[in-house]
Amino acid sequence: MEQNVQRLPAEQLFQREIEALVANEKYPVPTGWQMSPKSVLTYICGGRSGEVEISPKYIGHKRLVEIAISTLVTDRALLLIGEPGTAKSWLSEHLTAAINGDSTRVIQGTAGTTEEQIRYSWNYAMLIANGPSREAMIPSPIYRAMEQGKIARVEEISRCASEVQDALISILSEKRISVPELGVEIPARKGFSVIATANTRDKGVNEMSAALKRRFNIVVLPAPDSLEAEMDIVRTRMEQLSGSLDLNARLPEEEVVEKVCTIFRELRGGVTLDGKQKLKATSGVLSTAEAISLLANSMALAGSFGDGVITDYDLAAGLQGAIVKEDSKDGKAWEEYLENIMKKRGSRWLSLYQECKELNR
Amino acid sequence: MEGRAEKKQAEKTRAKAKKGMPHAFGIRHLSPAGAYYVREYLDRADPQLVLIEGPEDFSELIGDLGSEEIEPPVAVMAYTKELPVRTVLYPFAVYSPEYQAILWAKEHGCECRFCDLPSEVFLGLEEERRKKWQKKLEEKQEPCQEPESPVAYVYRRLDELSGDGDNETFWERTMEHAGDVEGYHKGAAEFGRSLRALASGDIPGTEKAAKSGAAREGEEAEGAGGMPDGGEEGRREDGGENAENRIREAYMRRVVARAVKEGTSPEKIVVITGAFHVEGLMGEGKPMTEKEWKKLPRLEAKKTLMPYSYFRLSERSGYGAGNRAPAYYELLWEGLCRQEPDYAARRYLAALAAYQREHGNLVSSAEIIEAMRLSLSLAGLHGGRLPTLRDLRDAAVTCMGHGSFSEVALAVADTEIGTRIGSLPEGVSQTSIQSDFYRRLGELRLERYKSVAAQDLSLDLREKLTVKSQKSAFLDLERSFFLHRLRVLGISFAAIQAVKQERATWAEQWQLRWTPEAEIQIVEAVLKGDTIEQAASFALRERTMGSSGIAGIAAVIEDACDCGMPTSMEYAVSALQGTAVDAVSVTEIAETAGRLSSVLRYGDIRHLDRAPLVPILSQLFLRACLLLAGECACDEGAAKQIAQAVATLHEVSVNHDFLDGERWRRVLFEIAARDDLNTRLSGLAAAILLEAGQMNSEELGCEVQRRLSKGIPAELGAGWFAGLSMKNHYALIARLNLWEKLSEYLVTLDDEEFKRALVFLRRAFADFTSEEKNQIAENLGEIWQVNPSQASEVLNGPVSGEELEMLSGLDDFDFGDI
Repeated sequence: MEQNVQRLPAEQLFQREIEALVANEKYPVPTGWQMSPKSVLTYICGGRSGEVEISPKYIGHKRLVEIAISTLVTDRALLLIGEPGTAKSWLSEHLTAAINGDSTRVIQGTAGTTEEQIRYSWNYAMLIANGPSREAMIPSPIYRAMEQGKIARVEEISRCASEVQDALISILSEKRISVPELGVEIPARKGFSVIATANTRDKGVNEMSAALKRRFNIVVLPAPDSLEAEMDIVRTRMEQLSGSLDLNARLPEEEVVEKVCTIFRELRGGVTLDGKQKLKATSGVLSTAEAISLLANSMALAGSFGDGVITDYDLAAGLQGAIVKEDSKDGKAWEEYLENIMKKRGSRWLSLYQECKELNR
Repeated sequence: MEGRAEKKQAEKTRAKAKKGMPHAFGIRHLSPAGAYYVREYLDRADPQLVLIEGPEDFSELIGDLGSEEIEPPVAVMAYTKELPVRTVLYPFAVYSPEYQAILWAKEHGCECRFCDLPSEVFLGLEEERRKKWQKKLEEKQEPCQEPESPVAYVYRRLDELSGDGDNETFWERTMEHAGDVEGYHKGAAEFGRSLRALASGDIPGTEKAAKSGAAREGEEAEGAGGMPDGGEEGRREDGGENAENRIREAYMRRVVARAVKEGTSPEKIVVITGAFHVEGLMGEGKPMTEKEWKKLPRLEAKKTLMPYSYFRLSERSGYGAGNRAPAYYELLWEGLCRQEPDYAARRYLAALAAYQREHGNLVSSAEIIEAMRLSLSLAGLHGGRLPTLRDLRDAAVTCMGHGSFSEVALAVADTEIGTRIGSLPEGVSQTSIQSDFYRRLGELRLERYKSVAAQDLSLDLREKLTVKSQKSAFLDLERSFFLHRLRVLGISFAAIQAVKQERATWAEQWQLRWTPEAEIQIVEAVLKGDTIEQAASFALRERTMGSSGIAGIAAVIEDACDCGMPTSMEYAVSALQGTAVDAVSVTEIAETAGRLSSVLRYGDIRHLDRAPLVPILSQLFLRACLLLAGECACDEGAAKQIAQAVATLHEVSVNHDFLDGERWRRVLFEIAARDDLNTRLSGLAAAILLEAGQMNSEELGCEVQRRLSKGIPAELGAGWFAGLSMKNHYALIARLNLWEKLSEYLVTLDDEEFKRALVFLRRAFADFTSEEKNQIAENLGEIWQVNPSQASEVLNGPVSGEELEMLSGLDDFDFGDI
């Protein structure tokens, strides 16, 4: 298809894999699905299907993917919750791509999303000219999913206003939409479900009501579970980024990536990596995505004002900015971390410690 | 019809036994399905003799075990008479196949015996292995990584190969949910065979397996018939336990051969053993000869039955010794007895919901139903018919816990582990902890205190220089350790009395009194450990985990120090470190730091290595330094507590060189200099600096002038002065320029201001003695050029009527918005 779009939907990017899985299906396929739950799992977590190698889309936490798929088998709606940068939307897109072969029935939730966008809206010119009719109605992605027995996605559900969230409650429990203007009620066909994603720690999100939460099976997606996994993600993304951003600096060395990931993981988890010592976690999010932008920033600093190699001085500036945001408590937590943990780590960390200490005065 | 089918089945079962071979039923310890089907199997096989895997010398306890007065979980235990106490432990729950087999035998009047190596040999082999390992360690001179044991290897491989990534779940899905006795019997045999194959590395397909198989050539792993308890370190070593498995199987064959010789026909014998051993037992191997039998090492041991608990079962989650979810497994057992396959799943989810509701969390019935559906769907993904524990737990987390395990963690622990404790009829038990208690009593020459009348005992913890042996020099210290351990365990034999001399760190006063309750308390303590020391360590650990505040953990550290148990202390210290990270107030930190500091300073008498306390104290101190200035912005009420904290922290900082004194000084300067904090505390900080010689008279003078300048509300100035005088009065009195500045300040005030200042200054000087007031008067006299004695007379003399009137006028003083 069009090759100059920035990003293709998942079902087109991985079309070959999906076709192979559908062709080699051995297990029963639920109504409305194009492959069995087992094949969906293979599509997401990687494996083989006949001759075709299936690349893993979501690394680690296979069990969570199993729970997510099983939830959709039971026709319950699925809510993926997690901190920013934990691949919620990514997982939701790939789940719908594998199950329906179409990940484009999506509502992108914002503070400005209205109830009509959840249910249906009207082509007002036609509405005024001819009165309410099926032709004048514009169905929402959820409406279409119900008609077709497919899965709809709601992104960033917690950003929508509470009234708008409430519109989902009766849809999810009764599985039908009534259109009083036309005097009809549209029942959902088998296979209909909703995958929603929500942020936990961002500012500007609305608390979800207990009633709505009860209609979802909730899966919490955690941060990468090991230092190695996180370093892998950071490294791959850095390689892609430095190509597209023209940063004029060398890629960060292994040691730099390790240091940043270590500090982030420790401050995020509130415990040292060896698990021996607890420490004060900071209030900021410190996601993997932030580690990536911190390193990109350090590279930009080194490329523009230094000799192209990230120094501890560049790194310290980035760390200070990422860790100590507006909250003064973070400054104290950072100082405690520097004194109690980093200072005792020996010579490899010494110069970074000194730079950070200098900056955190 | 049914009867005939059963008979046919029974014939089939009988025919299966090879000629001259007994029947063997492979099980896994603590397996509800095994427990249920073993009864069916026995019904069909109709034996005369039931042999059960377990130390042969425990056979004498079978009568007691089968008695109706026993309520499982219970355990049979052998323990060495010598120190250090080593134990062999076989726990039984109601769903243990062995336990059900014993009950069956009793109901059907059939003979029942254990058939494994006697416990003495078990202990002997273990000891030998431990020695070998130690020797190896010494040879290598340096601590090296212990090799992965064959058992660990087999189970790791099993985890990898099973689709569930977890062998417990794999076992539950394939075996506990097996539909009938044949399925279980065959499945267990197959499982045992695969384990043996896995152990010798010839599972085809994976390169890794082949490789490690080559490396492990000629080895054989201990599998399903694992020895439940025993030294962890000892077991890890490979080689030894493979040999041990061969020895055990040879011995079991010997027992079978002996039974046959005594006249029981082999077809009338059923051996109930771990699935792993079935093949070893039925194979071609020869029974152990008399010569081989005599050569085995032995360690003298005593045997007993003891009550056990589900909690302890769940703690030892290694194979055989326990399982992670005893209460859930009991539900499985009940489900089998009721013939309702999904009984456990339903009960489990309902129990979780009930617990959640009881603790104020809303759980609707709809959520339970959804959790049930999700668990079934998860099971379906793995080809299972029924959900396993893992499916159920994950479903509960998703549907009831909003996706986070922590929301249901307590309910899960309560439902999976449960609180059941076994019980024994009186007099059956003579546990290791009892004999440990009596042995210690003898060693410490405390036997004469074991009487119903209360007796006093005073201890002097210092080294006695008059005696010869090291042991008697520290006898009283050892006694103190022992008695403190009893105190920690809540055994009412010893009670500590308040010591009369103040600060006597080396004297202790105890009152000892023996009661039957004490004996019961000791038997109960066996659930915490095999010896008094182990149990005390467990109790301290439990207390550490249970305390939420850092002051509580500091108390555990003190207790651990009193008990002479450095490991417990270290554990508590690391827990303290963890808890201290969460938000705590400066006052609490100061209190904890004070306690730690006193353990550091006075704990010397107990000969304990207190080094682990050093880093935690410095961390607490750093934290206090960071927080203190911020917390000093408070009202008068809080200021009193913080003043106390400041004083404690200062004392701590003075007493330990390793603390960052420089930082502390900076903090004090900051508090002294800042104008937005509680002035009383600023004054106190200045006083401490003054006392420590960090602030000279000139700086003080400036400070006084700034604090007491016109325009500053009088109560703030006076509050500052009150803080300043909280420490050393003489240091203030000796500084003449302080009083000059005070005098200058008073002069600048107008009448109304003066009245206000007077009220507060009077309060500030209330703590001064008349002697001190005299000296102040002298100072002021000098400044005002008045005769000192005259001034003193005026100051200390009785108040005249006119003055009284003026003062009572002050009582009605309008404090405005103060």
